[in-house]
Amino acid sequence: MRATTAGTTARIVAVLVVLGIAVFPLYWMLVTALTRPDELFSDSLRLVPDFSQLGSFGDALAGGEVSGWLLNSFLISVGTMALSIALAVPLAYALSRFTFRGKVLVGLGLLLTQMLPEALLVVPLFAIFRDLSLLNSRTGLVLADSAFVMPICALILKGAIDAIPREIEEAARMDGCRPLTILTRINLPLIVPSLSAAAVIAFFHAWNEYVFAVTFTFDLDKRPASVGLAGFIGELGTPMSTVMAVAFMFTLPAVAFYLFAQKYVVSGLTAGAVKG
Amino acid sequence: MTVIEKDVPRSALRRGRRRGAVGSRWTPYAFLMVPVVYLTVFQAVPLLQELRLSFTRTSLLNPGNNEWVRLDNFRAIVEDPEFIRTLTTTLIYVIVCVVGAIGIGLGTALLLNVNFRGRGLARALVTVPWAAPGVAIALVAAWMMNAQYGVVNRALEAVGLGVPDGQILASETYALPAVLATTVWQLFPFPTIVLLAALQSVPKETTEAAMMDGAGRWWTFRAATWPVIRPTVALLAVLMAIWSIRRFELIWLMTKGGPLGSTRTIVIDLYSRAFESNDLGMAAAIGMVGVVISLLLVTGSLIVNRRAEKEAAA
Repeated sequence: MRATTAGTTARIVAVLVVLGIAVFPLYWMLVTALTRPDELFSDSLRLVPDFSQLGSFGDALAGGEVSGWLLNSFLISVGTMALSIALAVPLAYALSRFTFRGKVLVGLGLLLTQMLPEALLVVPLFAIFRDLSLLNSRTGLVLADSAFVMPICALILKGAIDAIPREIEEAARMDGCRPLTILTRINLPLIVPSLSAAAVIAFFHAWNEYVFAVTFTFDLDKRPASVGLAGFIGELGTPMSTVMAVAFMFTLPAVAFYLFAQKYVVSGLTAGAVKG
Repeated sequence: MTVIEKDVPRSALRRGRRRGAVGSRWTPYAFLMVPVVYLTVFQAVPLLQELRLSFTRTSLLNPGNNEWVRLDNFRAIVEDPEFIRTLTTTLIYVIVCVVGAIGIGLGTALLLNVNFRGRGLARALVTVPWAAPGVAIALVAAWMMNAQYGVVNRALEAVGLGVPDGQILASETYALPAVLATTVWQLFPFPTIVLLAALQSVPKETTEAAMMDGAGRWWTFRAATWPVIRPTVALLAVLMAIWSIRRFELIWLMTKGGPLGSTRTIVIDLYSRAFESNDLGMAAAIGMVGVVISLLLVTGSLIVNRRAEKEAAA
């Protein structure tokens, strides 16, 4: 009995250590944001946030620049989510329910896109967007980001549609329903969890994206938060507490939303990868 | 059944019977057209253009003017000792990420795989690193590793492990371990959550029976747990490898591949050749080498997995 208790204690300590390591950098963002700038660069080390410094979040948002970045990030992410889902649904349905010429090719193509680093296609995409006059615009970033995340969404949704028994569609087909009606009225309501997973993944792919955003936008007011935040690196004019306040405001929505949708996201990602 | 068939138009029935699916033979193409055209324009065409670029000498400053140099770029890469170093760094980076993230992830999953109060909260908190945006992580990691005021340095000094002058990211020796630690920290929640799910399908009776028979923890794990989670681990290894080969912003924002190229992976190399040396042709060639390596890795692991599955089934 004593051995079990010792084992349990060891386990509790180990769990606490892992959790501490997992959340520490996020905690440190908050502590830094809530520390007086002069105290940051002194020999004493503040380990707990000083809540009298909550004003640093206000300072960070003052002038509207940071809120503009966050708004750009939000709009680009919503656009990417909408476009990716709109394209992934028909693609997943076709791959799941039909046999057609080139099916293997489409499947392999989807897998290949998951191996391509964004940095590899940045140069040719820059030229394409220049020709389409889509540089320095949110629309351009939505188009670029969706191209990379839509295949993942399609693989997730294909896995979900594969799991729906065909007999359910059979009845609707006998009633003379058209394919599009069958997809929207019968299949989509059954895969809402996977749809939410794909939507969350698409949203945060765009929220976190950096390479395209930094290469395709030039004007300060067109930049999403990832680029704005990275711009603080090596720039000495802004106090570290302000930088960390911005970083925290950029991180918190992502973390909060993931915690909320975690179950769907992980099962969706693995299902997509396993069956893809 | 026959009653229903009477009400349905002949043609629809014939189609349905022939294809066993909804719609006509053109239906799948109607669903496919827009997504496939979209992926062609924004993935396939740029990839082919990049492939073409890799056989040219092209400058970022004058991209319209490209001179066809056949395999010169690739020859230059192979002969460049710096590129061998990039390959080695990439290899180290990928291996440490895969082994580190899956090892720590498996350990954490085993820790959390018991019933205790607050398990849901613990599982949620452990996902925080994976959910955090890379840019924000790079920033806070750089700040934590700040030579004078970083909390990491202060902690290391307190336990007598301080590095010279507190230089972590500016040191050829410590920059790669620091970047690796940050990457593994960001990756490990994913294997944790996936393996935690996989552990649910390990039958309790088997592990309990093994423990009863006096088998140690390690033996129980080897005999009862490992065979069940092995396919999941294999899949995770492929995913982690692909993700770490692609990883860009964390390394770029922490070190830009430096100091002296000590953290330069293939992706960092290709980006800095394109945008700092303005050499689009070389950048494209390096990128193609990276794509080929990823492809080999994925097909290789798929073949190995399939063979292992066959052996397991036999």
